[in-house]
Amino acid sequence: MSFLALDKWARLFRIIKQNGGIFKTTYKLWRFDTLKEGTFVGSDMFGNKYYENNFYFFGRNRWVEYHPRFAWEYDATHVTADWYGWLHNKTDNRPCEDCAKYYMNCNEYVNNWLMPFSENLTGTEKAYYPWSTVNHHICVWDGCAMCNRQPKK
Amino acid sequence: MLRQPLTRALTLSSPVRAAPLAARTYAGPPPPPEKFEVFIDDKPVMVVPGTTILQAAAQVGVEIPRFCYHERLAVAGNCRMCLVEVEKSPKPAAACAMPIMKGMRVKTNSDLTRKAREGVMEFLLVNHPLDCPICDQGGECDLQDQSMAFGSDRSRFTDIHFSGKRAVEDKDVGPLIKTIMTRCIHCTRCIRFASEVAGVDDFGTTGRGTDMQVGTYVEKMFLSELSGNIIDLCPVGALTSKPYSFAARPWETRRIDSVDVLDPLGSNIVVATRTNEVLRILPRTNEEINEEWLSDKSRFACDGLKRQRLVTPMMKDSAGNLAPVDWEDAMVAAARAIKDCPPNKLLAVAGDLADAESLVALKDLVNRLGSENTCTEQYFPLDGAGIDFRSSYLFNTKIANIEEADYILLIGANTRFEAPLLNARIRKAFVHKETDIAFIGPKVDLTYDYTHVGDSASVVKDLATGSSTHEVLKRLESARHPVVILGADQLKTPEGAAILAYTQELALRLQDKLEDKNWKVLNVLQRTASQAAALDIGYQPGVGKALQDGPQVVYLLGADSGVVSRDQLPKDAVVIYQGHHGDVGAGMADIVLPGAAYTEKRATYVNAEGRAQQTLVAVSPPGRAREDWKIIRALSEVVGERLPYDSLDEVRDRLAEVSPALVAYGDVQDNNYFAQARALSQSLQKPVSGKVDVQLKQLEDYFMTDTISRASPTMAKCVQAVLKQKQSQY
Repeated sequence: MSFLALDKWARLFRIIKQNGGIFKTTYKLWRFDTLKEGTFVGSDMFGNKYYENNFYFFGRNRWVEYHPRFAWEYDATHVTADWYGWLHNKTDNRPCEDCAKYYMNCNEYVNNWLMPFSENLTGTEKAYYPWSTVNHHICVWDGCAMCNRQPKK
Repeated sequence: MLRQPLTRALTLSSPVRAAPLAARTYAGPPPPPEKFEVFIDDKPVMVVPGTTILQAAAQVGVEIPRFCYHERLAVAGNCRMCLVEVEKSPKPAAACAMPIMKGMRVKTNSDLTRKAREGVMEFLLVNHPLDCPICDQGGECDLQDQSMAFGSDRSRFTDIHFSGKRAVEDKDVGPLIKTIMTRCIHCTRCIRFASEVAGVDDFGTTGRGTDMQVGTYVEKMFLSELSGNIIDLCPVGALTSKPYSFAARPWETRRIDSVDVLDPLGSNIVVATRTNEVLRILPRTNEEINEEWLSDKSRFACDGLKRQRLVTPMMKDSAGNLAPVDWEDAMVAAARAIKDCPPNKLLAVAGDLADAESLVALKDLVNRLGSENTCTEQYFPLDGAGIDFRSSYLFNTKIANIEEADYILLIGANTRFEAPLLNARIRKAFVHKETDIAFIGPKVDLTYDYTHVGDSASVVKDLATGSSTHEVLKRLESARHPVVILGADQLKTPEGAAILAYTQELALRLQDKLEDKNWKVLNVLQRTASQAAALDIGYQPGVGKALQDGPQVVYLLGADSGVVSRDQLPKDAVVIYQGHHGDVGAGMADIVLPGAAYTEKRATYVNAEGRAQQTLVAVSPPGRAREDWKIIRALSEVVGERLPYDSLDEVRDRLAEVSPALVAYGDVQDNNYFAQARALSQSLQKPVSGKVDVQLKQLEDYFMTDTISRASPTMAKCVQAVLKQKQSQY
C-alpha cells in the first residue's frame, strides 16, 4: 500500500471528506493555502476552530482555522489570549481544562478589570495613535493680527 | 588698543576725524610694489613688501595657529599662538605681526616652534575653565581644536589645590550675547570688531596680568546692529548666542546654504537645522556682499519663523472670524471670487518677502485674467524713465566697490539700519581708505563721522544744478570715485519724482566727468528683498492708483506693511492673503492661503544690486503650508487659466524669459542707459521744498521691520533692552 503511495491518496480523500466535500475543501485550500486533517479540539469567542494532529511534526501539529466571516482578512491576533498558549504549545491544557483560567472566567468581577480581548486594530479607524508629548516647534497664528491683538470673540 | 602700531591706533580711534574742508585731489592708485622671495618651511614664495609671515605662509597653504589674528581686523599680536621660528633670529617671532623680510627663512614646524606653541597653549589652559561639556562653543571652539593639535598631552597646573582657577564675573551686554568671561583668553577680537567694524567703541580691557578683563567697564548693552558677529569671532566660548544657548551641538545640526531676505542686501547665510526646526542662522562668506558678517536682525530673527505661523488655509466664517478650512475649500472660494471679479477690479499686491518665482506666477495669472494691476508695496516714481531702466532702481556701484569710493553722498538713506552691512562697508572705507561721507537727512548716528549737509530736499536740487556753494559739491566734483546713494523711502513723498530726477542729474553729471568710465555713481537703495525682483518682473511700484479704482478682489502676496487696509477698500471687496505669518495682511483677509517662509522653499531673491541668489529648503513648510508659486499655480488651474509651468525649473525658464538676470545666480550685471534715464527725467526737475526724512532713526527702530522680525521674541527683547539702555545714564 505504501509502495504505491496509496496511503497518501487515502489521506487526501479523508481530508476531503472531513472538510465536507470537494468544493468546501477547495475553498479552504484557497483561504489557508494548506489542507490538513485533524481532531477538533475546541473553538474560541470569535468562532475560530482549533485542531490538533500529532501526525504532523511539532510546530505544525496544532492549528487554527479562522471563522469564515474573517474570509481572507484573518490575522494572527484573531487567536484569543485563552487559546494562544495551547496553540503555541505553551500548555497542553485547553482553556476549559486550565483551572486558573476556568476560575478566572467564572468570576464576574473579572470583567470589571480585565478588558475584553481585541484583535490588532492597526490600519483600521480604531487604530491606536499615541499623542505627542513634546512641545510644538511652531506656534500657530490664532487669527488676530499683531497690530490689533484682541481676544477672539 | 593693545600692541598696535601707533599710527594705526590713531587712525582707528580718533572719533572726530571731520572731513577736511579744502577740496582735495586724490592720487591715483600707486604702482604695484615689487615682489621678493622668502621661504616658508623651505618652500619658496613671492610676496609683496609689508606681508606678514602668517599671510605669506597662507599663500603656500601653511596654516599657522592663531587666536587673536583675524583677516578683517587690525593685528593685535597678543595671543602669541602664532609664534614661529625664523632662521638667524634669537627668539621666535609672532607670525601675525612680523613683516616678512627678503630672503627670510621661516620654520613653522620646527622643534622650537612646536615648543613655543605648546607653552602658549599651556598658559592659556591654565586660565581657562575645563567646562567644555557644558560650553556652547564645544565642537566649534578654536581653543579646543588647537589644544588637540598643538597642546601638550599633560598638565603641570597644580594651583587648583591652592588658590583655585582664575574666575571672572560675567558681563551683561544685552539680550543677544551671553558672556562667560572666565572662558575669555583675551584675544581682543571682540574689542577690535566693536571699534573697527561696528563703530561702537564700548568694549575694552581693564586691569592687567591675571586681573585683566574684557568688558564695557560700566555695565551697558552692546548697542550695535552688528553685535552678533562677535559671537562668531570669539575663538572660545566666552561670547555665545543667548537665544541659541544650550540648544544644540554643531555636529547635530544640518547646515543649509541660503540667502537672507530681511534686508535688501541678500546676505549669504547658513541655516542650521535639527529635527525640522531652524536653530540658528550664521553668516556665509561672500566677499561681494556681506564679507563674513551678518546683521543682528538677519541672524537672530529666525525664532520669528516659529511663531505666528499660518499653517492651514483659513476662511472667514459667518461670524467674521477666520476658521481653518481645507485647501480645496479655500482654493474654490478664492477662484470663485477671482472669476466673479471684472478684470480691471482685480488687484495683486506683493510684499516685502515675496520671491521671484511667486511674483512671476502671480503676475502671469493676473495678466491672463485680463488685469494689469500688479503692484508692490514700496513706491517708486513712474514719471520720466520710471522703472524702465534697471539702472534707475538698483544699487549700481555694487556693495564691494564701496570700498573703492572716495566720497559718498547719502541722500535720506540711513544705511546703518536699512542695510547694516552696506554701512559696515562704508565704515570700512572710512576707516581704511580715508573715504569721506556726506549725509542729507535728519541727524542720525551712522557710526562714522559725516558732513551733515542739511535735511531739506532743496539741498539735493542745489547740488544737482551746481548752484550749491556747499563744500560737498566741490568734494564730489573732485572725487575720483564718488558715490551717491538715494534711500528708496524718499521716493514715497509727492516730491519723490523730483528728488530722484535731481539725484540722477547729480550722479550722472559726476559720472560723465570721471576718468574711470566703468564707475557707476548713481545708487538707489531699496528697502526690501523683493522690490528689485518685482520691478524686474514688471510690477507697478506703489498701490495708490490701483486702490483708488476700488478693487473688488485684492490678492496680497505677503503684503504686510499696511499700505493696503480695509478702510481703503469697498465694503464687499474680497481680500485673499497668501503668506507665512499672521500679521496685518492675514488679519484683514477673507481667505488665507499659507505659504512658505524663506527657509522653507527654494526660491530666487534679487538683492539691491540686482544680484539674483537662491534660498534652499532648510526645513519643510509647517502644517499644510505650501511653496508660494505652487499655490498660485494650483489656484490658476481652479480659476481656469492654467499657468504653463509644472516644476520649479519651468518657472525659472519663465523667469529667464522675463529677464535672464533673474536666474543668473550669484552674478550681477552692469547697468547702463543712465544717460537716457537722465534725459527722460529732465522735465521732472521741479522745485522741491520738503524735508528729507528717514524711517529708521534709532537702533530700537531697526529690530522689527517685517513679519518675521515682528513675530520674533528675541527681536522684541532687543527693542526693550535698547529702550532700557537709552534711559541709563551711561
